[in-house]
This record gives sequence, structure tokens and C-alpha cells, in this order.
Amino acid sequence: MESGGFGSINKSIAMLSLCGVMLIAIIYGFVAYIEPKPTPLQGFTAPFVFGKFRVPVDNPLTQEAVQLGRRLFYDKQLSGDNTVSCSTCHLQHLAFTDGKARSVGVSGKTLDFNSMSLANLMWGPRHFFWNGRVDSLEEQALAPIQDPNEMAQNLDDLIDELEADDVYPGLFRSAYGKISAENIARALATFERTLISADSKYDQYLRGELKLSAEEELGRKLFMAHPDVKVSLRGGNCIDCHSQFLTSGFNAQFDGFSNNGLDTEALLNPGLQFTTGQVTDRGKFKVPTLRNIALTAPYMHDGRFTTLEQVLDHYNEGIRVSDSLSPLIMEADNQPQDAVNIRISLNLNEEEKRAVIAFLHTLTDHSFITEDKFSNPFDADTMPDA
Amino acid sequence: MNNKMLNYLLCVCLAAGLSACSREAEEPAAETEQTTAEAMPAATRDSGGEETQALVLLRGLPTLDTTNSIAIVEMDPEAENFGAILYEFETPDIDPPLHHIYYSPTGRVFATAMDPKCSLVEILLARDASGSPLINAVECIDTGGQQVGEDIIWHSVGDNDYMIVTFMGGSGVEQSDGGTIAVLDAQSIEVIKIIEARKSNVGEGEPFIMYPHGLSAYGDRMVVTSTIHPDLATGVGNSITVIDLNTLEPIENIVVEDSMPVGFPSSPVEVLFVRPSIVAGVEPAVLVNTMFGFETWSIAYDEANKTFAAPVKIYDGAEQGTGVPLEFYGNETELFISHALPGVVKRYELASLPELVSSGADIVSDAGAHHMIFYATKSGKQVIAVQNNLLNLGNAADDDPTDIDFIAKVNAHTVTVHDLATGEKLATVNFRERYNKGIDNIEGLFTSGFVHHH
Repeated sequence: MESGGFGSINKSIAMLSLCGVMLIAIIYGFVAYIEPKPTPLQGFTAPFVFGKFRVPVDNPLTQEAVQLGRRLFYDKQLSGDNTVSCSTCHLQHLAFTDGKARSVGVSGKTLDFNSMSLANLMWGPRHFFWNGRVDSLEEQALAPIQDPNEMAQNLDDLIDELEADDVYPGLFRSAYGKISAENIARALATFERTLISADSKYDQYLRGELKLSAEEELGRKLFMAHPDVKVSLRGGNCIDCHSQFLTSGFNAQFDGFSNNGLDTEALLNPGLQFTTGQVTDRGKFKVPTLRNIALTAPYMHDGRFTTLEQVLDHYNEGIRVSDSLSPLIMEADNQPQDAVNIRISLNLNEEEKRAVIAFLHTLTDHSFITEDKFSNPFDADTMPDA
Repeated sequence: MNNKMLNYLLCVCLAAGLSACSREAEEPAAETEQTTAEAMPAATRDSGGEETQALVLLRGLPTLDTTNSIAIVEMDPEAENFGAILYEFETPDIDPPLHHIYYSPTGRVFATAMDPKCSLVEILLARDASGSPLINAVECIDTGGQQVGEDIIWHSVGDNDYMIVTFMGGSGVEQSDGGTIAVLDAQSIEVIKIIEARKSNVGEGEPFIMYPHGLSAYGDRMVVTSTIHPDLATGVGNSITVIDLNTLEPIENIVVEDSMPVGFPSSPVEVLFVRPSIVAGVEPAVLVNTMFGFETWSIAYDEANKTFAAPVKIYDGAEQGTGVPLEFYGNETELFISHALPGVVKRYELASLPELVSSGADIVSDAGAHHMIFYATKSGKQVIAVQNNLLNLGNAADDDPTDIDFIAKVNAHTVTVHDLATGEKLATVNFRERYNKGIDNIEGLFTSGFVHHH
């Protein structure tokens, strides 16, 4: 009995111990589930000259979030009919644009706007899209997914699909804890934040690694200069609006929106007015990055120009006057102060136009468009993408 | 007379002279300024709230067991962490420490240095995953053996883009009349030419370069000051040298000297070529501050004939109660000149240059008023921060500059922040008390923020 009694006690102790271990394991697992410990992004560096950027406190750059975001970005499951991914309209080899005047989504309808390049998005963390209608990358990320013409996906359905997937539950667990619309947005935004382009010819020039050609240097000087006849300075007037040309916009308010004279008053697209409701913002659009601009044709919010030459011709001889036309464009004419009958034009000569375009080509970053860590992570055989 | 004796005599004389015209006595200084970032920084970078942060060069004080460093400091007097070091990169291998920071037109950061084995460096700034700035490295640049780096400017002549650096110790501080100017390729930072014309090596009456320090350029002419031998004892200059930037040769010396209030040559220190890019329509002229003359001089420049007029004294510190004028700084409307003694920054209408027309009351900082930066506080108040520390050459005997009484009196080791509109002192950071370090230079982290070539 005694020994049998001891045996029973031992068994009970053993059972209790086992239960205890299991309980601890369950608690530990639960805690681990609700509190993932993602790894801060290693080896990250960005050029100082791009300026300060801020990452949302609740969505820091982590290895796990980047991995998850990259997979989501290239995954066609994010569209309602599983035919379109973010990368359909944002192709890496075109600096994450699609080469079309205006993109086409799952509905087959031509969208309202040209696909915007995705590069250096951390430097411009407010007011995304051509008309500035969202305030964060996280908010931006969900908009195309739900748009009936773009990806036409119901977020609840998407969450169900991702939960049923073999891979996503683990990725979400380690990055954020659970699968949710919010975390889908956070992951996509995080991946997009890592799309840093910093090795164009111009970047190398800034680092002192090479010299620009004479034509590129003339273009650089024209690009940087607002015409000033008082000091005989000719200028392409580009920098006035494109001061953030290496990155992706402005931090503050709506500074980075401008009406660059594409249309007359009667034909103006609402543009920023859609977001602010202000009539004075009618016809204003986000001034885009010029990084990789030679790869991102067609140009303007509606892709109306197919070449950089056409863009230069627009600023030189095609400005249309409207109430919200940028005064910086109106006053930049490279003409003497006493000149008469001046029409709005930069009055650049052919050599100067070619020089500005040559400079714009120095903004092409070939390493950015071939960088493995930005590429499609899926096996091409099992997950062909656009 | 050995150097120590000369040094002592110099100090005594300087002290006596300053006492006579001002309050305290003190001695020489040296340094530089900043360059206009024409092409890049301010125009293309988004500051993201970093305008109130300063990049400073800190001197470790051996007796206080601290190390030379480069630091980023919050300078907004309205911030809770005003005066806090946000980031620090120690440079124990560069000693004496770095001397003066300069931003290049393409946004690169350089610093001159007095360490004989490393007299010019590039500071490689980057950002981490939080967006905060950090320093990846401080790389020494091959200067061909030139010593005691001082000022840097970037200037273009024709198709040539130059980075030009003065080396007060030239090809060897042991030379009694040394000093060189290095002309480097602005992109590759490789030396194109070392301009050297020692008085003892050129013919009588021929133009020479000696102890070059301040420099400024307009068109194809550059002016360089002749200040003082780096040991502060062997010799003192009293002229500026005109350099033809087409040939990169000295072509003329112009003496700027008058009353010698401390009995020494005038020691021209900083120079500003007033030119149309600073003041629209201005008739070009050269302004020169004389460290021991306590004066500011103006030299009109005839651009058509490329000739310089006789110098005219336009400010006399001995009469006005100020000594050791040092730097020229400017914003869009005013020119500022720092005077180490008694520690003031005088302000003038930019549009009236080259005349010095006062634009307001003196900004009363601390002894050693030297370099300055301009920025807006969180609430939008425009302020000026003045680094108050005259000299960072140290004392060879005990290697601690604060132990030298006469220098200590003009080494407040502070940065004082003032309301730019009223001059009112809003706040002070005392680096010696707070960090056991001296502060040798201050620069805005984000951009140079002011006109100043030099």
C-alpha cells in the first residue's frame, strides 16, 4: 500500500508537473503570439543628404516586416480574382512604375492616374497619390487593394485567404502577431520604406566618385537655377518645384503640390482640391520624385507625355494659364527685365533642353532596378507575376 | 629669444593692449567659416526638424580625462533636451582635434585639422534605421604633407571646380615663413597644385604667401590672409595675398595695418570678398579682419581692370572697445562679425556693404565669440547661437588649453543662444562644465544656412 500509495502520489506529481509544463508552454505560446519580438532591420543605412525621415513608432523597420511586406507586395492573392498584385502596376525594372499612361486593374478599366514610382518613400511621409488623398504609407497600401477597379479585394476575404495559406500565418506571427488589415498595411508600408534608391550617377557624383559630363553639368546647373536676369543667370527652374527630386516629397502640409500648367482653367482636373476642398488647389498635383525619371515614362499625372523631350517642350512652350498656375513657372522666363510681349516660357534653347535631359538621365539607378531584395520573392515557376 | 619667451611676450603685450582699449587681455585666434551650398544641401534636403541641431567639434581636456569628438547637439532653447549631446563620435587618433567643419556644395562634410599626420578629413555622415544621423567614418585626405589646415572654399573658374584649402603650417611648421594653399579637384579631392611662395624663397618685392588662413574668391581672383605662425611665436603677418586663379600664382601683397594697438603686426585673419552673389549690384570689395589690429579694412576691387585700391580702415576696435575680430557670417539681410573680446557679435546691413552700417545693437555673448549658426526655434523664433572659444591650439607643456590663463579668459567654452531680433541672451550651454570638454567649432547639422565665403 505504502509503496502503492507512494506510486500513486508520484504519478499525481508527475501529472501535475506535466500539466504545469503544458500550462507554462501555453502561456508562453500565448504571450509569444501576442507579443512578437521582431528583429530590428540590420545593416540599414541611408544617405545623410536625403535628410531626416521618420518611421511610425508603431511600425518600426524590422526584418520580419520587410520579409512579409515584400511577399505581400508581389502576391496576387491580394486582388479579388487573384490576377493582380501591387507589382502589376509597380514593376521593379521600371523603377516600380508600369510604363502605361494610366494603369489598368482587375476591372479592365483604365484608371484615372499614372502609376507613381516607389522610391525613397520615407522622405515624404505625408500625402500620397497624385492628389494627396491619404496621409500615410499604411493608409495608402490598403487603398488600391479595395478599389473596385484596381484590385477589388474585400479585406475580410483577404484575411481569410492569408490565414488559410501555408506561409502567411507564421510570417504575420513573427512580424506583428496576427493577420489583420492593419498589419497587412503595415507590412506593405514597411517594404515600401526599404525601397531606397541611392546609387544613381548623380548620387555617385554627390559622393565625389565621378564627374558629370559637360552636358550633364550644364544640365545640373540649369536644373538647380531659378533664372535671375539681374546676375545673368539662366535657369531651368526645375528645383523650384522639384526641390525633393532625389526623394519622394515633402514632410509638411501640401508644399509639394503644384499646378504646372498642363491645362486651361476649363479643363483642370480637381487634383489636390479633391483632398482639401479648396478651389485654390484645383489643378494641383503631387510633384513626383525625379529619381529614375528616365525609366518612368509616360509622364505627368495622366501620362500625357511619352518622352522627356515632350516634358521639356511643355515647360518651354506649352504652359497653359489657369488661376492656380504656379507663380514660380509664370515668372521664370530667362528674358531681360525690359523685354516686352513675354509669353510664359522658359525660353531654353535646344542645347539647354538637351542638357537638362542629360542631367535627368543621371538620376537613373541601375542597382535599384536590379536589387535582389526588392525583387519578386516567389518562385517564377509557381508564382508568375506581371 | 626662444619661442617660449616670444610667446610669453606676445601674451603680455596683447594683454596690455587689450586692457588699454577694452577689458581683458588675450591673444590670437584662428579659424574659418563656411561655404555657400549653391547646388545641393539646403535646396534638396528635407530637414525634418533638424534645423535646431548643431554639429560641433569638441576638444577633450586631458586633465579632465575626456576625448576629442564630433558631436550632434540639440540647440533649441525651447527644447527639454537643450544642450544634450544626441550623438557623439570620438576621434582620439586626431590630436590636436579637428579644427573647423565645412559643407561642400554637394553636401559632403569636411574638416580641417592641426594634427600633422592628418590635416584635412572627410566626415562620412549617414542615417540609421530610425533616421537619426550617425558618422560612419572620419577619413584623412592626402594633402601632400601640408600641415595645420585652416579654411576651405569651393570656387569655379571656367570649367574647373576647385576646393581650396589654406595650411597655416605649409609644408612644415618648422619653417619660419611657411604656409601653403592647396588647390584640389572638387570632386576627387585630389591635390592639383600646392601654391607655395615663401618670403625667403621669392625675390625682394615679389608676392609671397605666409601663414595663410582666411580666403575668399570672386571671379578669377582670390585673396588670402597672412595671419600668424602656428606656434604663435615665430612670426606674425600683416598683409593679404592676391592669387590669380587662372595661373594659380600669387600676384600681389596688400598690407592692412595701422595703429598696432598691441604692438604686433596686424595679423589679418578672416577675409570676405563682397560680391554680387552676396549683395546684388554691389561694387566688389574685400573686407579684412585683423586679429591683432582689432580692425576691419575694406579694399575696393576694380573688376574691369582687376586692380585693388588702397585699403581703408572702416572699423577700429581699439576705439570701440573690442578686440580680436574674427569671423564674417551672413544671412539674407545682415552681416555679422564676431569679436572675441569682450565677446560680442556686431551686426551690419547686408545691403550697405562694403560699408559697415549698423543694423542693431551688439549681440553680447561670452569671451571668445567666434563661430555662429542661425536657425528658428520650435516656436519659430529666429535665433543666433554663438560659439565662444577663441583658440584651440593648446599648451604644449601640459596639453590642456584651459590651463593657460590668458587663453582661458577668451575660452568660455560656451554656446550662447540669442534672440536674433533683440540680441537677448536666451540660454547658454557650457561644454566645459557639462561635458568636461571644450568646444572648438559649431555648424548647423542640416545646412550651412548662411552666406559666407568666405
